Amino acid sequence: MNKNYSVILSEASKRAQRVEGAQPKNPEGARARHTATLLFNLCTLAAISMVATAAHAQAIMVDTTIKPGITAIVGGKLLTVTHGTIENGVLLMENGKITAAGPAASVKVPKNATIIDAKGMTVYPGLIDAETNLGLTEVASDQVNNDLVETSEEIFPNMHVYDAFHAETEHIPIDRYNGITNAVVAPRASDTMPGQDSFIQLAGRDRDQMLLNRDVSLAMNFGNGPKRGGRGEGAGGGRYPSTRMGEITQLRQALIDAQEYMKARASGTSKSDDTASGKEGKGGKPGSKFDLKNEALIPYLKGERPVIIGVEEGHDVEAIMELAQEFHLKVVLSRLTHAQGVLDKIASYHVPVIVGPIYELPEAGERYDAVYSLPAELQKRGVKVTIASYDNEFLRNLPYAAGYAVAYGLPYDEALKSITLYPAEIFGVADKLGSLDAGKTANVVIANGDPLDVRTNVKQVYIDGIAIPMVTRQTRLRDEYTPKQ
Amino acid sequence: MPATTPHPVRVSPLLYCAFAFSAVSLFATSAHAQTIPDLVIKNATVMTASHGTIEHGAVWLHNGKIAGVGATVNAPPGATIIDAAGKYVTPGIVDPHSHSALGNDVNEATSPVTPSMMMIDAFDNNDRALYFALAGGVTTELLLHGSANMIGGQNISIKNRFGRSRDEMLFAGAPRTIKFASGENPKRVYGSKGQLPSTRMGNFEVMRQSFEDAKVYKAGWDSYNAKVAKGDKDAVAPHRDLKLEALSDVLSGKLLVEIHCYRADEFLTEEAIAKEYGYKIRAFHHALEMYKVGGEIAKDGTGIATFADWWGFKDEAWDAIPWNAVMSMREGVKVALKSDSNDFVRRLNQEAGKMVHYGGATEDEAIRMITLNAAWIMGVDDKVGSLDIGKDGDVVIWNTDPLSSYARAEKVFIDGDLYFDSSLPGYGTTHFTGVMHGGGFGGSDDESAEDAQVGGGN
Repeated sequence: MNKNYSVILSEASKRAQRVEGAQPKNPEGARARHTATLLFNLCTLAAISMVATAAHAQAIMVDTTIKPGITAIVGGKLLTVTHGTIENGVLLMENGKITAAGPAASVKVPKNATIIDAKGMTVYPGLIDAETNLGLTEVASDQVNNDLVETSEEIFPNMHVYDAFHAETEHIPIDRYNGITNAVVAPRASDTMPGQDSFIQLAGRDRDQMLLNRDVSLAMNFGNGPKRGGRGEGAGGGRYPSTRMGEITQLRQALIDAQEYMKARASGTSKSDDTASGKEGKGGKPGSKFDLKNEALIPYLKGERPVIIGVEEGHDVEAIMELAQEFHLKVVLSRLTHAQGVLDKIASYHVPVIVGPIYELPEAGERYDAVYSLPAELQKRGVKVTIASYDNEFLRNLPYAAGYAVAYGLPYDEALKSITLYPAEIFGVADKLGSLDAGKTANVVIANGDPLDVRTNVKQVYIDGIAIPMVTRQTRLRDEYTPKQ
Repeated sequence: MPATTPHPVRVSPLLYCAFAFSAVSLFATSAHAQTIPDLVIKNATVMTASHGTIEHGAVWLHNGKIAGVGATVNAPPGATIIDAAGKYVTPGIVDPHSHSALGNDVNEATSPVTPSMMMIDAFDNNDRALYFALAGGVTTELLLHGSANMIGGQNISIKNRFGRSRDEMLFAGAPRTIKFASGENPKRVYGSKGQLPSTRMGNFEVMRQSFEDAKVYKAGWDSYNAKVAKGDKDAVAPHRDLKLEALSDVLSGKLLVEIHCYRADEFLTEEAIAKEYGYKIRAFHHALEMYKVGGEIAKDGTGIATFADWWGFKDEAWDAIPWNAVMSMREGVKVALKSDSNDFVRRLNQEAGKMVHYGGATEDEAIRMITLNAAWIMGVDDKVGSLDIGKDGDVVIWNTDPLSSYARAEKVFIDGDLYFDSSLPGYGTTHFTGVMHGGGFGGSDDESAEDAQVGGGN
């Protein structure tokens, strides 16, 4: 067995032995441990007090700059996503890319490769969460550190989550520990158009290395949630829009304004360009005023980037799709939960659907499994179903949601795609991510079993071909308090 | 005290429960059970929770109780047989921490000390959260007061006989339990009103003062009862105060104390206060930092009802680690998992599955965390929580290993009676008719800080 790999496994098994083999301690041992605990706490306290405003976020950054050398993961079961399951497979990685993924019989391992023995293990592409709030919040209840959504206006396509994305969040190592290597960061869905999403990688030297696509898509929401006067953040009673009519009108006006702006800029005259003092924008025609809000919508009006429409209910889907079609938006339906009545209609739109969270409670009169079975029902109708966590603390459980969809009828291969290839397709990165194929980014996970099963342990994560230290704030606490033999 | 306490205004909680329970007992043993034919589930993988897993095993239910468990059982020829080849059988899942079916009445958040609040008074037996729980294999639940108050109300233990009347859903013979809380929730609720407690110092001072008052009250009644026992006909009964009476019952050990708290230092403080006033703490709920002091708390015999992997939703959950349950168990703490949520109650089996992942629990240990240990937290482990002869016939048949992502509860039996069958059309319920009620409070507010601010904490 290769050295590298024995490190991985023996660390894990040592931990397990330490925990499982724990005997009742003598008082001296216990006291010593408490002293250590106290020192640890004091150190932690000191560290925290030095960074008072970002008390919790001290994650270790992992530089994923490409390093020379070839890595070969051999003997594992490869879940390629695109070309089936390969028992006893070989996966080669070099220069941050996958260079081969196939059966041991047909992939030659170069002599100079570092061999990782993955016998008995399952190897699969890094998982992708299609909607999260990663880096926008640390401790959910700490409002002072939350940057979930700018609430001062509802129409804010010019809000960019990358401006708030906190790369050092402790959440990122904890989520990648369970095999999640990429995610979309979106503003909270409490406004009709709260901003643009970023596509990130869950490792990097700094923020810039982790932001793979800063403005990957536009967040749009419709239904009960974005009503002002509801329970949304900053909701003041009676503010516009307080109904669905208001939401649609507000969105339509914003899109019309942007359309007119786009046309005016294309022809060199802008409505807002009515004074000599009009600020000249970058890239604008002479004399035209650069308007951040309208400018932000142009790529979406041109259909160049997807608009992720958060909409839960069936009748809301129909209403918002009319608007989307009016402006020829490149639509992805998201947050779908209570749409069992219009499944065929949804399929007829031929748009990708992000379902979930599938743990949403059924509505009055619905059977207990009405939401659990939604991915399967959509898939039966030919819809490419993506599953997202829409979360921060529970993000690491993304693969289990996909597994639960299997329990309620989604074919296993589709469930795996729902958190790998399909989100990669939606966000335009399927040429780089979402499967074990030569030429793609070497975001690879080795686990001791089925990735969708709650009992499975991830043993090693690679991002850009770099072996990520399997250490998180939580493993550090675990190891600190695990009784020493 | 209850024996000689006059009850001029209100039936005492103990007697009240006793009445209800005796009615249920009659019902369960005579009205129902005799009409249910014997049932044998055979060829299943039987996870007993108390004595390991039996491959190709059988479970025999007779008169609402478990009459046999093993490779074979000696059931009478007329018994109904379910061939469960390829399927798994477990005891009914027990959730020792829920706020389901209490509508918006989870917290009497008008005073930090409200021990005379009776959760039975808020119980809505038609709440659909109970249905969702049943469909997840949950047959027993502890419905608790919220965590807004240092000393909240008295909880109710139910059997999830969904579709039966309110009183028929009560768990006959379950001990009385009371909810305490400390930490951020009471701090926030009362601090935001400019009231005591707004700090942890305030938290515990409120508790100490309450028990000081209860000591005086109890002494008054003890003295009175002693006089009456000696035949003193002139003895004058002290004033009866429902709040102090409940606290006095805590001091007398008549209530199992269930405490919401998160931090290691709070476990130690709570244990010290309990020792000072002479009561025992049955369990810490949430208890996300138990891995730090498990060895100490194990000595006090206090268990925990914890989350599998919740973390980061508030400051006092910042040091939560998903290994907490298994590490605490290895230190000798009795560990149960719980939902605190109308969502998670539906899949506690998966939460248990995570314990195999985080810390390497055996399947037996993992199942016990959502059955036998959870029943112990409620004080009903002599009646439910494992597949043992004589225990209640609460049994779940699963399509596959319940600890996997792929498990669905297919059939749920309570007291030998089928209450849920996923193959049935509609809801899949067998006893429910009518209209289910909405979820009201909707379970945990520890699930999100936003909810907590609205709900006051549970």
